[in-house]
Amino acid sequence: MKKTHTKAFANLIASVILLVFEVWAYVQTLGFKVVKKAAVQPATFPQVMCIGMMVFTVILLIQSLISLKRMNPDDPNMQPAASINIFKNRGVQAGLLVIVLCILYVALFKTLGYVLASAIIAAIIMWLIGKRDVKQILLVSVLVPLLMWLVFYKLLTVNIPMGVLDPLKNLVDMI
Amino acid sequence: MNWSLLFQSYGSVFLNPQVLLMTLLGAVGGVLLGAIPGMTATMGVALLIPFSFGMDLIPSIGLLLGIYCGGMYGGSISAILIHAPGTPAAAATLLDGYPMSQKGQSGKALSIAMFSSFCGGVIGALVMTFLSPLVADVAMEFTSAEMLMLAVFGLSVIVAISGQSIAKGLISAFFGMLLCTVGLDPTYSAKRFTFGVKPLYSGLQFIPVLIGLFAVSEIIAGVERIINGEEKQESSNEKINEVLPDLKTISQIWPQIISGGLIGTFIGAIPGAGGDIAVFVSYGFNKSFSKYPEKWGTEIPQGVASTESANNGCSGGAMIPLLSLGVPGDAVTAIILGAFIMKGIQPGPTMYVDKLDTVYCVFAALMLANLAMLVVGCCGVRFFAKIVSVEKKILYPIILVISLLGAFSINRNVFDVGVCVAFGVVGWLMNKFEFPLSPILLALILGPMCEQNFVRFMDLNGGNFGAILGRPIAIGFFVVAVAVVLFSIWNQQKINKREAEARKAAAKEANK
Repeated sequence: MKKTHTKAFANLIASVILLVFEVWAYVQTLGFKVVKKAAVQPATFPQVMCIGMMVFTVILLIQSLISLKRMNPDDPNMQPAASINIFKNRGVQAGLLVIVLCILYVALFKTLGYVLASAIIAAIIMWLIGKRDVKQILLVSVLVPLLMWLVFYKLLTVNIPMGVLDPLKNLVDMI
Repeated sequence: MNWSLLFQSYGSVFLNPQVLLMTLLGAVGGVLLGAIPGMTATMGVALLIPFSFGMDLIPSIGLLLGIYCGGMYGGSISAILIHAPGTPAAAATLLDGYPMSQKGQSGKALSIAMFSSFCGGVIGALVMTFLSPLVADVAMEFTSAEMLMLAVFGLSVIVAISGQSIAKGLISAFFGMLLCTVGLDPTYSAKRFTFGVKPLYSGLQFIPVLIGLFAVSEIIAGVERIINGEEKQESSNEKINEVLPDLKTISQIWPQIISGGLIGTFIGAIPGAGGDIAVFVSYGFNKSFSKYPEKWGTEIPQGVASTESANNGCSGGAMIPLLSLGVPGDAVTAIILGAFIMKGIQPGPTMYVDKLDTVYCVFAALMLANLAMLVVGCCGVRFFAKIVSVEKKILYPIILVISLLGAFSINRNVFDVGVCVAFGVVGWLMNKFEFPLSPILLALILGPMCEQNFVRFMDLNGGNFGAILGRPIAIGFFVVAVAVVLFSIWNQQKINKREAEARKAAAKEANK
């Protein structure tokens, strides 16, 4: 097996990314307000957490380097790592598409409203993962968000944005 | 113990139609969710917690405990019928449950699982009723030093739940603690990691983060598995005729039920140790003391009884540290703690003085949740098996839209939906790189407690941390925390060694 396909290599990459994040977070804490005569500054606790993260990230980094150097097949770190190749792995591509859909969902949540936005995202995901029964897709993707909205709106009195379907509230209130 | 108040509280819970209904609904939801492989009681509670927002405390706790107890039992249904444990805590049930099912005894196995779950749950609830006030009495002496070390003790179990890599578990934990510091500093109101984003001033909300990490990430991973053809669609056509075990069977399994219930309660009471550990300990213990250990793992009813009573016994055990110390015993009680806090109640020793009636109502609600689980199990055992056949291609999008609604409904804020999605991505990536998610959960709960008590202790002692040496209970907690860490490291090394040997043996077999 190629070194780059092992868990040890994945851990190495993760360690480097984490170290960059931890240094960035630590630098951010240097800009926190300083309180005179305080035994513990507002920055102290986050700084301790950043340092703690750094210590164990370095340990993980060293463990990964040792595993990659030894290449011992009994080492659990020499097992194949999960794929994150967005160019070759169709599953990863689909996962990323779901993430993009979720981001669009958040952006359009207020404009379209919960029921419409949810119906669209649910229908697209069902189609994406291979469901081809159009009747079932439409039925499930519309009825479930509608039912959820009804439960929250009428039973739990939680007001959920309905966007373009706002007149539905008046209709339900009349009933 | 105030007996009249205890009976009064039991009466107010058992005679309140809203509590009865919510607990029953929770049990139905829990059993249904638990029966779906991959859906844990934790995920069920996280998904359904938004439904409890509009309710009073006790009905909402009844709902959550119903899901908890129902989910613990539900996991055994798919374990027995299709060899796929619905929850990690049901992993040991399939050792004897599935062979029973294969020999045409599905009904018997399911009824034993249900009856044992109920008995284990009742044992846990009784032990909780009588033991947690004693723990709370000691906890009344706690100052910031003890609370700080208690949080450290709670965090020490992170090592036990870290899985194969302790370094990764601790990185997750420190990351979770760092997330707790987002927002205004609780002592001096200094802005930390807010970047001018106003909704971040109040910090990251626990529930959207939780739903994102556990539910949204699982949906993204599920979609990925379906596309890669790695997701199996389970199905079951079993016919079930028996609902409760007969007297002869009960006389065979009662010792395993009692020992399993007690083991489950004891392990559940240790913060961080949950049903998944308890079932294997109980199975191993009962097998060791059995007259015919060689029969275990074939089709023995005692095997099912020992594991199922242990995993439901955990529910009562996990409530002991939650109510008496304010430290959650496992991931589900961590979410229940969130529900208490949202209702303005901080569990802990003072609750036994200020809100004793609420404490007794929680005891009663747990007892009721176990009864509800038995009722739901009896009525639905024939139909629950069918849920494993729900198509994942429909299930995942449904769970997604329910999850995102759950994230929104807490503060009625779209920002929280964004936080939920963001943590869904974080959780998905962490799963890819095999970083455990549970330590983040524990850190999110215990982080604020840790920081606040650390700052208070340092302020009171003029910045002299050495003053903690004069607090024997705090030192005791610290010593136990160190012992837990060392034991967990030793235990993990043993597990890793065993796994390596199994891999070697499998490789040898393959070469032959």
